[in-house]
Amino acid sequence: MIWKRYQNEISVLFALVMMLSGYAYKNSQFSAQQELSSGTNSSMEEIKEVIALKKIWSSKKTTQKIKKLQTLIPESKVTWRSKSKKLTVSYRGLTAAELNKLVTKILNLAVEIQKLEVKKIASSYDVEFKCKW
Amino acid sequence: MNFTGNNKELLLVHSDMQQVTVSEDVNVMLTPQFYTLKKEALPLSYAYQAKKIAASLFEGLLEEGRQYDYMVWKEEEEWVFLAYDMQRITAFLESKGFALEYVSKLFFTQQIVDLLETPLALGTGSALVSLDRTAVLVPRSALKEEENISWGIDKRFTPKKGVLLQGAQGSLLTVKQAALLSAAFGLFSLMFFGEGWRYSHAIKAGQSHIEVLLEAYPSLSSKYTRDSIISKYKTLDTTERKKREIIKTLSAMIFKGVTLTSFAMNEKMFTVAFSSKDAQVAKRLKALAKKNRFNISTVPGSNDLTIKGNL
Repeated sequence: MIWKRYQNEISVLFALVMMLSGYAYKNSQFSAQQELSSGTNSSMEEIKEVIALKKIWSSKKTTQKIKKLQTLIPESKVTWRSKSKKLTVSYRGLTAAELNKLVTKILNLAVEIQKLEVKKIASSYDVEFKCKW
Repeated sequence: MNFTGNNKELLLVHSDMQQVTVSEDVNVMLTPQFYTLKKEALPLSYAYQAKKIAASLFEGLLEEGRQYDYMVWKEEEEWVFLAYDMQRITAFLESKGFALEYVSKLFFTQQIVDLLETPLALGTGSALVSLDRTAVLVPRSALKEEENISWGIDKRFTPKKGVLLQGAQGSLLTVKQAALLSAAFGLFSLMFFGEGWRYSHAIKAGQSHIEVLLEAYPSLSSKYTRDSIISKYKTLDTTERKKREIIKTLSAMIFKGVTLTSFAMNEKMFTVAFSSKDAQVAKRLKALAKKNRFNISTVPGSNDLTIKGNL
């Protein structure tokens, strides 16, 4: 019955062990939360980045926006060849203003520029543009 | 099961008692030989208030130089104060063969005064009787009716409230210290477990955010898929942004007197040719190209400038 003699100490020891267990539990949960939080944050960032990139480079509106390249310049100056998600277009005899307008429009399109050629012929410009999206 | 402690044997302890051998838990009932009693009608509401003033009530009544503890309870209109010397009691119990670790609680005969309907014999010389609701020892010879005497008490006499002996048995901590420490540690453990629980819930909340996002985009649930998409689009994004940046920079280099002669860009490289109206303009254009860190080439004797670069 030695334990009876020291039951005060035993009860304190038990409470101490409980406290240490609680501390260990808290720490383990804290570490798990930190670890998971950084993992979750990076996953969230990744997902958001993927969504943002897809939104830019796989936008369904791109096809419609591309069509504006045909109407931007008078039809007589445009040779349009579009197939699937690829475009080859030639412009002949553009003025400097038309060239500026066209280049600005191209730069704002989320397409992969495969070829962009500008040649000055006398006072006008010829443009070859090839892209895919 | 009885948790109040009266399921243990109750032993009456008095100065003339015989030696005992105790091998299991017992409760002990102490006769007036081991305590000093005082009754006072005081305007107090709570026992803790009464206990605070107990020491002052016994001033001059107790032996000096001893350490006394007090027990207080209310009896109708009066407060009953009881002073006892724990050291003396434990020394006596040990002298009579009690192993202190087997002594659970100490009680006082004053607590059972209402049960003393008949005198209670204490050995051959004296008896415990109730006089004016006070338990007192009287010589047996003073009793009128010897035949009505009781010869002992049993566990039915065990009062509800007793004094724990722990802390007086060689234990390193008193009951009070143990209770305080246990309460403090218990409080901390509750706080730690609570905080841990909060963290575990935060983990679940974080997971639910990502789950909501993945519900909208189930194809992105795999990290492999995500990495693959990122690598595909990131390269595209970087290259295309670079192309556009170069075109914008080259456009900014066209100022008065500079004419764009040709420009060609494919997926790997670009070439641009400018012509300037005079040497002054050509010099300024060259400086601009250098500032933008372009790789330039000029034709000697001409104001034309060609820039080439890789993507």
